[in-house]
Amino acid sequence: MRRSLILAGMAGLGVPGLAFAAEGAATGGGWIGPFAVIAAGLGMAIASGLCGLGQGRAVAAAVEAMGRQPGAAARIQTAMIIGLALIESLAIYMLVIGIILLFVQPIK
Amino acid sequence: MEIIEHPPIFRLPGIPDPVAYTWLVMIVLTALAFVASRRVELVPRGVQNVLEVVLLQFQELIDDVIGPEGRPYLPLIATLGLFILSGNLLSLVPGMAGPTANLNTTGACALIVFCTYHYIGIRKHGPITYLKHFMGPVPWWLKGPMFVIEMISHLARPLSLTLRLFGNMLGGHILLAMMFFLMGLDGLIGWALSGSPAGMVLGGLGGVLMIAFTVGFIYPLKILVSFLQAFIFVMLTMLYISGAVEGHEAEHH
Repeated sequence: MRRSLILAGMAGLGVPGLAFAAEGAATGGGWIGPFAVIAAGLGMAIASGLCGLGQGRAVAAAVEAMGRQPGAAARIQTAMIIGLALIESLAIYMLVIGIILLFVQPIK
Repeated sequence: MEIIEHPPIFRLPGIPDPVAYTWLVMIVLTALAFVASRRVELVPRGVQNVLEVVLLQFQELIDDVIGPEGRPYLPLIATLGLFILSGNLLSLVPGMAGPTANLNTTGACALIVFCTYHYIGIRKHGPITYLKHFMGPVPWWLKGPMFVIEMISHLARPLSLTLRLFGNMLGGHILLAMMFFLMGLDGLIGWALSGSPAGMVLGGLGGVLMIAFTVGFIYPLKILVSFLQAFIFVMLTMLYISGAVEGHEAEHH
């Protein structure tokens, strides 16, 4: 059951790509463009979702520490912001890759 | 990127937009500094007062992170912070282009930071000692792999500095343009103006809601992100400098 669902999903993902591929081959364009769009969207979705999970864990731990020690709240907040920036940069890498895939299109 | 973002209104012919708007930021900052320091008074008033408060914030941050050895690097850090903050905020003015939403500007800032903190470390500890502190406090048979790993980590620092600032700014601009122009003005308002009855009801209401959401929520969020990214850039610069000054404490970022 599950395998057939996966196959159906793959077919569903592949059919527009194939259709565009036929059209692209007719007009002389590349077939990789539609897949680049799918890759950019899926990759950004996965990256931002997992990045949100990681940032949520970090913020939860920092808020808990601030609640236990309100005197050290300023230092914990600074450390939390730096940590958030470092986690967020991983999603930013995916954003840059997505932008490159969509607009620069190094592989046609 | 011209597909999504409208080019800025004022352009200098033959000069790329980020360069022209970098010059604008430079002119504004230089004029501010000139006006503030033309007649320095003991009891500051006006522009001098404002700039002293801003510089005092930077100084407290440096004392907090680097310690008393960080005072000589106040000009570098404050210049970077003020430049990046003004660039971020300038790109939010309608009709202007942001210099920090360009890979070359952020890459230049990150390369300046990279070269500076290595120079500071080499000048303070000498080249041999500074190279030794890359190996870290590990047994001798681990020193080779540790050196390679530390090298890669140090080389990744300017990359991550560059891409973080650039990606945040450009992503925010694309989001703002999508929400305001593609979905708000072109999509829903265009549907309302197309003349169909459903478009007049749904599109008009949705368009007004979308524009209110963009101006009321995403725009202030972008202002917050501008301040936050400038703060993070400056903070990481100070952490790198403090790591180079202190020497033997390995920092992992």
